[in-house]
Amino acid sequence: MEMKPIRCKAAVCRAAGEPLQLEEVVVAPPKAHEARVKIICSTLCHSDLTFWRMQGVPGLFPIILGHEAIGVVESVGEGVTEVAAGDVVLPVCLAQCGDCPDCNFQRSNMCSGLPLRPLQTAMPRDGTTRFTDAAGEAVHHFLNVSSFSEYTVVDVAHLVKVDQAVPPQIACVLSCGITTGIGATWRAAEVHKGSSVAVFGLGAVGLAVAEGARFRGATKIIGVDLNPLKFEIGKKFGVTDFVNPNEIGDRSISEVIKEMTGGGADYCFECVGSSALVTQAFLSSRRGCGKTVILGLDGKGTPITIDPNELLAGRTILGTCIGGVKPKSDIPVLIDHYMNKEIHLDEFITHEIGFSEINKAFDLLIQGKSIRCTIWMDK
Amino acid sequence: MEINPPQSIKCKAAVCRAAGEPLQIEEVVVAPPKRHEARLKIICTSVCQSDVTLWRMQGLPAGFFPVILGHEAVGVVESVGEGVEEVSAGDVVAPVFLAECGDCADCSSKKSNVCSGIPFRPRQGMPRDEGATRFTDAAGAAVNHFLNVSSFAEYTVVDVAHLVKVHPAMPPEKASLLSCGISTGMGAALKAADVEAGSTVAIFGLGTVGLAAAEGARIRGASKIIGVDLNPDKFEIGKKFGMTDFINPKEIGDKSVIQVIKEMTGGGADYCIECIGLASLMSDAFLSCRPGWGKTIILGVEKHGSAFSINPTEILQGRSIKGCLMGGLKPKTDIPLLMQRYINKEINLDDFITHEVGFSDIDKAFELLIEGKSLRCIIWMDK
Repeated sequence: MEMKPIRCKAAVCRAAGEPLQLEEVVVAPPKAHEARVKIICSTLCHSDLTFWRMQGVPGLFPIILGHEAIGVVESVGEGVTEVAAGDVVLPVCLAQCGDCPDCNFQRSNMCSGLPLRPLQTAMPRDGTTRFTDAAGEAVHHFLNVSSFSEYTVVDVAHLVKVDQAVPPQIACVLSCGITTGIGATWRAAEVHKGSSVAVFGLGAVGLAVAEGARFRGATKIIGVDLNPLKFEIGKKFGVTDFVNPNEIGDRSISEVIKEMTGGGADYCFECVGSSALVTQAFLSSRRGCGKTVILGLDGKGTPITIDPNELLAGRTILGTCIGGVKPKSDIPVLIDHYMNKEIHLDEFITHEIGFSEINKAFDLLIQGKSIRCTIWMDK
Repeated sequence: MEINPPQSIKCKAAVCRAAGEPLQIEEVVVAPPKRHEARLKIICTSVCQSDVTLWRMQGLPAGFFPVILGHEAVGVVESVGEGVEEVSAGDVVAPVFLAECGDCADCSSKKSNVCSGIPFRPRQGMPRDEGATRFTDAAGAAVNHFLNVSSFAEYTVVDVAHLVKVHPAMPPEKASLLSCGISTGMGAALKAADVEAGSTVAIFGLGTVGLAAAEGARIRGASKIIGVDLNPDKFEIGKKFGMTDFINPKEIGDKSVIQVIKEMTGGGADYCIECIGLASLMSDAFLSCRPGWGKTIILGVEKHGSAFSINPTEILQGRSIKGCLMGGLKPKTDIPLLMQRYINKEINLDDFITHEVGFSDIDKAFELLIEGKSLRCIIWMDK
């Protein structure tokens, strides 16, 4: 049976920082190892903003952003047996090919079979795109997903199957940000019962870290944010204490946290993407056993500076992609926890809009008014 | 009340009176041990790089001197202070710079070896008697302690939290090796990194600590142990401790050490261990480890105040960096395990001892280390 290209709407980004235009695009059929997915809904993650604003990257535009989503498989490419038309799937920016040394190693989630290249703007295996615009020009992919489109094409190594019974807007947020936060407390840090945790940045990822830490039995979860409103919001996700860096006078954040935890937190998570904040998080961790996990991506690439003697005192610092989670193996576990009411995800979704209003989602996130705004394709 | 309370002891000590000046063997008076303390008669000691670093450090406050250096040693308990039950006169012990009080949350946790009961801090006196020293010189002036040990003296006073009991079957000079440098290196491989069989390990700096890390990686069955050092002689020496490959940064042409290690390991080593104390090497070690699961262990003490600079993109690829004191080992809990391994002939300690001198020749031990001619030179007190 020959598969045909599909004409549909996509929110195309043509210049850095410019509002997205809803345009007609043509989505080619899936090739070998690929599936064409009809997006049900998508959400905006800070990394979309980072790339949306990125200046000076040749050949980035035009691009279809979006990498946190849920969809239904519409058709599959040659030889694909892993998923079939009708399956509900989460497209994920990070692959799990299942074959490489990293996929076979328990402690790594950095698939080396299909390595993550953030500036790769085409299909991972053949480097070509599946989108063309009305003028017939190629439109670039983003982070192996491109979910701001009614249809997209995704490599099966980047697809996680989801049970139909899971509310789609909840499963959607587990395709990136929330999984990153909860996953970090589990895979990256292995937060233990009775521990103290400091979370730097209470956006969706930071709040998800707090929720994950709560689930794992941390007894002190300190949220650090410049927005005082985040304390009340944070309490819904397990935050027990709050530090606003603008309200601590001359003291440093790490001094305050060390005081609150009798010497330093067992686990510190940086969820903003600021190398300077990483240093504060690191200094806030306890000597001997303190672990600092870096989740935020510093858009400027500013180096993180660490005092080696503070490291020598017995601290660990590590970074991960999506919290160290293997997408296909681990996201279903998080979904189970949600369905069993062990983790609370509903409150991450603060707004809902239709696809045509997609720029509103950008405004809400930039203004710090939303955690996750569900963008429904069919509305 | 004791009928014969311990008296002060007059004995010889190698006193450091100015940065970089040869040590003077002088007479000192060693006060009796107080609560929680033990007075030790040192059997033998050795010079560790940290002794050399502090010995020649410029710009230290005048109050740092005079000081009795040395922190790698073994001795016999001569007398104990009030309430001490853990050790008694006649016990052979290794004094260590890092405490294990056994009581605090950190000592109780498996995850930490940094005792918070007696925190590790720069100090010049006894840990529980802030500022007090047990040494006075011939003129009656106080002489400072160093790193809670001060082993370049015939007698010293050490807090019991800093004493590790020595297995009776351990030859004293081998036991003293385990009181700092070699435990640090082996601990790094066995505990901090927890090297698995078949892993690849790259070690930056093949002094005693680095070679000990190689030995630790060897007994764990690492498949590749790559040593990085500017001294080409270290290759042959390293082979005795399990090294399989060697990189001399001066002999790799235009390539970087990082590139060479990545080539040798198919993308990066599983574990990289930095054993020198240079921020630039820490960075090289970090970049030489594998994305996904590569772990870098930092053991070296940076003495120039340089910051360690980390590229965020590189760390987000799943790499981790861990620093530790004494390789992550809890002294009282873990050093005896290394002693047992030596007794069982599982680890090579003998080849670390390259020289022996008597106490009066202590300056020779410094020279040998500074000139890179020795690994460990045992300084025997009674010779």
